[in-house]
Amino acid sequence: MGMERRVRRAEKQKAPKPRSLWRDAMRRLIRNKAAIVGGFIVFSLVIVAIGANWIAPYGYTEGHIRDNYLAPNSSHLMGCDFMGRDVLSRLIYGARVSLAAAFVGALTSFLIGVIYGLVSGFLGGKVDNAMMRFVDIMFAFPTLLLIILLMVYFKSTFSVIEPGTFRGFLSGLDRSMGGMLFIFIGIGITSWLGMARLIRGMTLSVREKEYMEAARAIGASRTRQVFRHVFPNILGPAIVSQALQIPGFILYEAFLSFIGLGVNPPTPSWGAMLNEGYIGMRSHFNLVLWPAVAISITLFAFNFLGDGVRDAFDPRQTR
Amino acid sequence: MFEFIVRRILWLIPVIFVVSVITFVLMHAVPGGPFDAEKALPQAIIDNLNAKYHLDDPLWKQYVDYMYGFIRFDLGPSISYRSRTVNDILAQQWPVTAMLGLASFAIALFGGIPLGLISAIKQNSLADYASMGISMLGLSIPNMALGPLLIWIFALRLKWFPVATWGSPIHVVLPAITLGTAYMASFARLTRASMLQVIREDYIQTARAKGVKHTTVMLKHALRNALIPVSTIAGPSFAGIMTGSMIVERIFAIPGIGKYYVTSVGNRDYPVIMATTLVFALAVVFMNMLVDISYGILDPRIRYN
Repeated sequence: MGMERRVRRAEKQKAPKPRSLWRDAMRRLIRNKAAIVGGFIVFSLVIVAIGANWIAPYGYTEGHIRDNYLAPNSSHLMGCDFMGRDVLSRLIYGARVSLAAAFVGALTSFLIGVIYGLVSGFLGGKVDNAMMRFVDIMFAFPTLLLIILLMVYFKSTFSVIEPGTFRGFLSGLDRSMGGMLFIFIGIGITSWLGMARLIRGMTLSVREKEYMEAARAIGASRTRQVFRHVFPNILGPAIVSQALQIPGFILYEAFLSFIGLGVNPPTPSWGAMLNEGYIGMRSHFNLVLWPAVAISITLFAFNFLGDGVRDAFDPRQTR
Repeated sequence: MFEFIVRRILWLIPVIFVVSVITFVLMHAVPGGPFDAEKALPQAIIDNLNAKYHLDDPLWKQYVDYMYGFIRFDLGPSISYRSRTVNDILAQQWPVTAMLGLASFAIALFGGIPLGLISAIKQNSLADYASMGISMLGLSIPNMALGPLLIWIFALRLKWFPVATWGSPIHVVLPAITLGTAYMASFARLTRASMLQVIREDYIQTARAKGVKHTTVMLKHALRNALIPVSTIAGPSFAGIMTGSMIVERIFAIPGIGKYYVTSVGNRDYPVIMATTLVFALAVVFMNMLVDISYGILDPRIRYN
């Protein structure tokens, strides 16, 4: 009797769910208060960026000369800039540029870096050596200088209006995106190096694992080995490294727009607004304060979230 | 050690080659030339100017000539600043940027490491939370936002420091803080993380058990080992600080090389673009070399081979 009851009770208890790395990571991420705050801010920013047309009280080009340098008041909560445009509205639209740089930058550097690293690490030997020497050399290239050169090249080569040609297509696309396309390309070209190095190192170590030997032994094809066995095992660290890089992409965009090589006016970018604002800050400090606050809060949120993701995937580290 | 340094110096050759080729090709691929002006010059004058600066030579010859000059430290004339050679410009502007960079780097190192050390020793205390909070702020406020904020608070309101420009030591303070804060923050965070790992090691317990003083354990046994991972980011940080000075030089109207770079790209001043890029790349490689050497001093287990 006692035995039977115990078995029944044991059956009633839920069998523990199988725990995957992802489920564990998710659980740890949700428990991390700072990461939740960061995630919430990022989520609200995404909403604001998508719904900018409905949320922003004015259009980002809308301005009147009588409102130039208007102080904050009830109809313009953050005042107006040097062309009489509503600062709050431009900040809201500016979120689009920053977030787009964050996500597209992360995506392109992830794709290029992962593919390059996988190929290099998996093929090994001479190919690996050559590919990694190239990465080493590119690391010595001051990134900001390269990106400035690239942006000047894109902006002047593709500034033509030539319908029907590839150049014309690219420049049209860039114009319709307010100058963001070339920022994305520039970030993509310059920021995959660290990722490639990381992935290559991990691929090398995964390649020596027993399960890889097993896969080779049962005659798995190379593509199958890479996609079924190597890739899933390096995905976690790759995501962590990318999450930590996102603030960097936002900074790149702000940097380029700040020095005038980023978005085309009148597209609002926080970097461009800082540049317009700091010149007149002695008398109109609000023009530099608000974009500074906006970009700092955004970076704050992404940093918290990135830290959270890292701690979630690598709980052994004591932080 | 000696062999290692020689090998690293030889490594400079491919680096300089690739960096110079990419820069050269890219800058010549940009349409327009140094003699474009609002009012177009007569073709004959442009031809003469091109001939004077050898811009009518085939590209490969221009490249070879430039590099031949470069290895003899002759960087050629500046095209937009007619009376000055690139050597003059570098000699005047580079020390300014280097000074600013070193000051910022010093702030990052000597601010960041103690901050991380304190918060690791007093983990989960108020001091820990405070210094990690400061680090998070420092990491999140970009220098293009921090610069104007510092100017507004400390120069315009409190009037403790000059608003901008360069010249005396007091002029260095605000721009160096602006430039160094983010790196200080990352040094602090990394020092803390790596200290927390090291103080759980067995040899720390051994040292304690032998009755070594707490401070000695922390500073001599733990910190020295904790600094190894920190030194890995010192090289990239220095590179970031040097190029990051472009923004800070702009905000604070500092006559450094970063400001020149942006204008020279706009002016298609080819010799200045080449020289600046190469000097920056050399600085980065040199700094990385110093970092690699410092590994060996911090950690005698590391052998150079």
